[in-house]
Amino acid sequence: MNFFNTVYESAYNNLIAGDSYLYILSGLKTTVIITLAGLFAGSVLGALLCLMQYSESKILRFISKTYIVIVRGTPILLLLMLLFYVVFAKSRMDAIYIAIIAFGLNGASHIAEIMKSALESVDSGQVMAARALGFTKFGAFYNITLPQACEFARPVYQNAVINLIQWTSVVGYITIADLTRVINNIGARTADPFFVIFIGILIYLGLAYAAYLIFKMTERKKRVRR
Amino acid sequence: MIKVENLSKSFGSLKVLQGVNAEIKKGECVSIIGPSGAGKSVFLYCLNGLEKCDGGSIYINDDNICDKKTDINKIRLKMGMVYQNFNLFSHLSVIENIILAPVMVKKISREKAIETADKLLETVCLFDKKHSYPDELSGGQRQRIAIARALAMEPEIMLFDEPTSALDPAMSGEVLAVIRNLAKLGYTMVIVTHEMNFAKEISDRVFFMNEKSIYESGSPGDIFNDPKKPATIAFIRKLKTFNYKVSSHSFDLIEMSSRLKLFCVKYNIEAKKIDYTNLAIEELITYILNHCYDKKQTPEIDITVEFGDIDKKIEIEVVHDGKTLNPFDKISYTPDETETKSDTDNTDDTDDMGIFIISNISSGISFSGENGINRFKIKI
Repeated sequence: MNFFNTVYESAYNNLIAGDSYLYILSGLKTTVIITLAGLFAGSVLGALLCLMQYSESKILRFISKTYIVIVRGTPILLLLMLLFYVVFAKSRMDAIYIAIIAFGLNGASHIAEIMKSALESVDSGQVMAARALGFTKFGAFYNITLPQACEFARPVYQNAVINLIQWTSVVGYITIADLTRVINNIGARTADPFFVIFIGILIYLGLAYAAYLIFKMTERKKRVRR
Repeated sequence: MIKVENLSKSFGSLKVLQGVNAEIKKGECVSIIGPSGAGKSVFLYCLNGLEKCDGGSIYINDDNICDKKTDINKIRLKMGMVYQNFNLFSHLSVIENIILAPVMVKKISREKAIETADKLLETVCLFDKKHSYPDELSGGQRQRIAIARALAMEPEIMLFDEPTSALDPAMSGEVLAVIRNLAKLGYTMVIVTHEMNFAKEISDRVFFMNEKSIYESGSPGDIFNDPKKPATIAFIRKLKTFNYKVSSHSFDLIEMSSRLKLFCVKYNIEAKKIDYTNLAIEELITYILNHCYDKKQTPEIDITVEFGDIDKKIEIEVVHDGKTLNPFDKISYTPDETETKSDTDNTDDTDDMGIFIISNISSGISFSGENGINRFKIKI
């Protein structure tokens, strides 16, 4: 019985005492907000960067390429610190917005590449066939290229999302109380961190699984084989 | 229906088409033949504006599609196009492939489009595959779906870009049957093809493209049996001969014989004769490699096989630049004498055997060796 007593005590200290569970929930909320907002910003900016690569203007193409090379090669933590301690040092902006900007900027560089390679995987012959059938350029893109590119991009994009969820765990460095930071704090307070770290891992796993389920739902219905 | 005037097209500095003139009437079926790189496909792509022309004009009915003011999307509705590699929409099922353009471009109601599609699927005998996806179909089936997809837009003109060149013979048969049917229905058709027999049979006129334009045109009879200009004559002659070059002691025998067989099958040569031809070439090449070249020398042997239209005999010509030797000297054609010969000097049994076989299966052998060029002619 001793063992169960220990576990119970540990759970109580880490989760219940001092409303720790509410603290954990608020950390989870912060993590989810940064992830979703960062993903949104990253996708919009990524689409824009991708579009720039197909532009006629050499300058736009150059800007897009350079941006991708530099930002993709910069560790997200350094980017975060650069924004927090240098760029927005004097503004009173909430750190959480800075985190969203940082993940948006970083995510865009990856997502632009994902989109570009997905678009390039679409067979140009099919686009040509659509044009010959009377589709306009946009009609062919919307009906043929886009749906197929989405299929190609899905698994890679899913990967990027799960990566992003995990990378948000570094925002504690700029004073944000996200899930990881909260778990760290609780562990430090109770001096019995094993239980709460274990719970933290489970929550991150849950988030990744939720992302997987959402992607699964958007997947085209499996074809009925003959 | 289609009128092409002085059309030119280049890719960068490379001129592909120059001064092409042609007229195609309603209901006419025109085949375009010619060597690769002659601009056949580019010409076809220009006809429906997939490639923009650089100069000249193309009139479809009365609209000049080289004019930038013309609404090319509208004119394309009158033209169906079928490609070498099908280009079916891989994310859509067969029925969706067919109705996509009618519904999205022509704004026909879905029900009506499906009704038409069903009929088309029946005409190409693929109604059962209605809900399959392109990657579940064979090449021949895919191409037939591609034809149905083009027909669903009710075009007046059908353009075919090498519709069977990605298919094996059995599958191209399926596709050719469908195209033949369309010709009977009176579609105006332009077909770029390498299937000469098909072109001969189906078309009203044949364009031979060479040197960036239509080099010679005429009825299939004119082009295939009685071409007038030198390049056409050479092209047609080459179609009727099989060529192979042996340039190594370990040449690819299997490749050669399978290509030879393919050639023979095209001319409906009986199986026994194909085997004899194959055997004779194999034995002769082996003999030449063993006796006329030493191991360090690079052999250069040219094989030409031609099927004579008149005497229905196969003519094999083998030319090599090795030592001048005529093995058929030693052997006379009567079997008894040969037996006595091989009794007296049986130095090279196997090679003599080969030569003996050749002389038995052939109906005439001649040899000439001058200036280091040796020429065997064997008739089978």
